[in-house]
Amino acid sequence: MIPVSVITGFLGSGKTTLLRSVLRDPAYAGSAVIVNEWGDIGLDHQLLETSEENLLGLANGCLCCATRGDLARTLIDLAARRRSGAVTYHRVLIETSGLADPAPILHTLLMDPSIAEDHRVEAVVTVVDALLGAETIARHPESTQQAMLADRLLLSKTDLAPDTSALEGRLAALNPGAPILRAVQGAIPPDMLFASAARPAALQHWLEAIATPGARHSAGVETISILREEPLPAVVLPLFLEALAEHAGEKLLRMKGIIRVAEAPEKPAVLHGVRHVLHPIQWLEDWPSADRRSRLVLIGQGIPQWWPARLLEALEEEARG
Amino acid sequence: MNPPALRALLADSLTLWGVVGRVEIADGGVRVIAGDQVLHVTQAAPAEAPMRWWLVREGRRRPAASMLGLLRSLRYALNATSAEPARARVAAPS
Repeated sequence: MIPVSVITGFLGSGKTTLLRSVLRDPAYAGSAVIVNEWGDIGLDHQLLETSEENLLGLANGCLCCATRGDLARTLIDLAARRRSGAVTYHRVLIETSGLADPAPILHTLLMDPSIAEDHRVEAVVTVVDALLGAETIARHPESTQQAMLADRLLLSKTDLAPDTSALEGRLAALNPGAPILRAVQGAIPPDMLFASAARPAALQHWLEAIATPGARHSAGVETISILREEPLPAVVLPLFLEALAEHAGEKLLRMKGIIRVAEAPEKPAVLHGVRHVLHPIQWLEDWPSADRRSRLVLIGQGIPQWWPARLLEALEEEARG
Repeated sequence: MNPPALRALLADSLTLWGVVGRVEIADGGVRVIAGDQVLHVTQAAPAEAPMRWWLVREGRRRPAASMLGLLRSLRYALNATSAEPARARVAAPS
């Protein structure tokens, strides 16, 4: 039986950072990884350092609804390729989109006989942002469901939030059976997360509640994608991020991007932001693929579709003088 | 930035701020009309560098050195800051 673990958590909680850290552990480096991203431009899978044949991206739909059938087919196809010797892996790690309700995903994993034949669900790990988690749980039902269905709750970014007692209390009330672990930059022994777990008592309730499959995302959540062929002047980045935070911070659930900067086109800049909290720009040594266009994905509520691109163009024009 | 592009960006900005109003091309720039307020935005002349924009309200001209400054001034002038605007907060480096 192939163990399957699910990593879930709200937009920007740190799922991909955790997955990157887990895949650096030799015992987990050979895992098959399925990454689900919401939006037209998939980025997360490009930021993972794992072999191409063991990494599958399910983009432009959410695992818990639009691409749920894709998950089943992907797992079945993978298992067949494993049996034939075409690929080698000893476990499957699934990273859900930040808006995913894990219940339909678990339903597929546990109830589809063609999956259950070869796979067993090992653990559901829910990543919760220590800084913004309490507010996210209060505002977004997906986040609550992610916490309730966890086998283990992982508080991320604890270096940014010195006091997490209120959040931990809320999480304990939602899911009393799940241990609450802590990590900064995903640094935690993977076995603490993925050791086999008894299913939380809430699972059966959720499985019954989803007899009619369908997405239950917060109303009005939209994805805005920006694709740029030309490199951007470096000075535009901080101005753009500042304007984004100042004018759209409350409406911006998540921002991520990989940017080709005119002054250093061979070293892409990686942007991450959750609402108005922006992480320092990371510089990669090289591009993760042959695609060297700048790509930005913003997920938010109530942000005019073209406002970010128009703002970026205005700032770029100013920078070019 | 030509007036149509400026009009599009400012019209989107009004929507983002929840301001009911309209933006028209006028006098080499744009006119922003919201309630009983009328403001003009024009691009600064090259000789006025480093200023890039002028926001004119009731005859008073306020300069802005970037689009970031112009948006901030316009939002303030329209009293569209119901809460303190969220400034960028940079998380600690790893």
